[in-house]
Amino acid sequence: MEGKVIVVTSGKGGVGKTTATASIGAALALEGKRVAIVDMDIGLRNLDVVMGLENRIVFNIVDVVLGKCKISQAAIRDRRIENLFLIPASQSDNKDVLSPAGVERVANDLRKEFDYVIMDSPAGIERGFQNAIVGANEAIVICTPDVSSVRDADRVIGILYSRSLTPKLVVNRIEPSRVERGEMLSYEDVLEVLSIELLGLVPMDEHVLISSNTGTPLVLQNDSKAGHAFRRIARRLNGEADLPIEIPSHRSSMWKKISKTFGFK
Amino acid sequence: MFNALFKRFTSQKPSKNTAKKRLQFSLIYDKLEVNDTTLTDLQNDIVAVISKYFEIDKDALELKVKRDDDVSALVFNTPILQVKRKRAS
Ligand SMILES: Nc1ncnc2c1ncn2[C@@H]1O[C@H](COP(=O)(O)OP(=O)(O)O)[C@@H](O)[C@H]1O
Ligand SMILES: [Mg+2]
Repeated sequence: MEGKVIVVTSGKGGVGKTTATASIGAALALEGKRVAIVDMDIGLRNLDVVMGLENRIVFNIVDVVLGKCKISQAAIRDRRIENLFLIPASQSDNKDVLSPAGVERVANDLRKEFDYVIMDSPAGIERGFQNAIVGANEAIVICTPDVSSVRDADRVIGILYSRSLTPKLVVNRIEPSRVERGEMLSYEDVLEVLSIELLGLVPMDEHVLISSNTGTPLVLQNDSKAGHAFRRIARRLNGEADLPIEIPSHRSSMWKKISKTFGFK
Repeated sequence: MFNALFKRFTSQKPSKNTAKKRLQFSLIYDKLEVNDTTLTDLQNDIVAVISKYFEIDKDALELKVKRDDDVSALVFNTPILQVKRKRAS
């Protein structure tokens, strides 16, 4: 059976695409799947450092698309998580070096070798983005609860629809206390505006920066709320579509229950 | 909770309400952005249709997308010079 190619995109930069790609990919591998995560941010590679695999790069995705090496030569095997592989971007090339037809061909080849292929898209909606989505069967749109990020997400969702992709949404960097104070859009607000299917909600979490500082997978840190959220996202993607989506909260679950009983919001 | 009470007393609207309104508006606005060629083509088509019935002042007409807080509209404005006589067919 052929695997799925899932693109992670957002329009806006800095909202958590690379974090999400690395975390969802790692989490799917922990679920026992064979996973390749591919850095499509040609010229600005980052997935390698976030995953802590930057010292092991020999070939990259551009080499694969241009036929300079085989997939197996470019895919770096993660030593901490079984069945997890990274295909890095090239750092020196211009993003115009890839043709959509070439990327699509490689995406189809990858599908034959992996259960999941997760593509980390560059910011923007130009050539690099187009290349990242050309081979995808599914799409995840990431946004943060702020006006410009949601607006960009809406634009990207429109483009994905026009390519017959029905994206699912992840809202990242939610700060529950600020949502409660009315300083930050709630996930309901974001969903109402974008009206697409929700895949998951990820809280703001200091572990994200720490794990990228050290190049260790976020999903292996048991006390990370964001890591926990990404693991649930992976499970929902991987057949457990009915797994409830947890709403980030700064109060203990006890408080949440009590306040529910009394009818406070 | 106490914060919410405090807010009520100071009667300050949460900034996220403003954020949401601005977002909803900008998304509609964005989608209504029509490029110049579309607008020119549309204008030519409309003129062709109206000219079958009225003689209009082609230099004075205007076509634009008007956006207000609540509604957006396509506005076509033209002076009519004369009603054309219906030709027997
Ligand atoms: N849930 C989160 N909590 C805290 N920081 C986050 C979270 N998600 C992302 N970040 C931080 O935001 C920055 C941008 O994230 P990144 O994944 O590189 O975004 P993108 O790939 O969309 O440009 C990084 O410094 C990352 O550590
Ligand atoms: Mg990135």
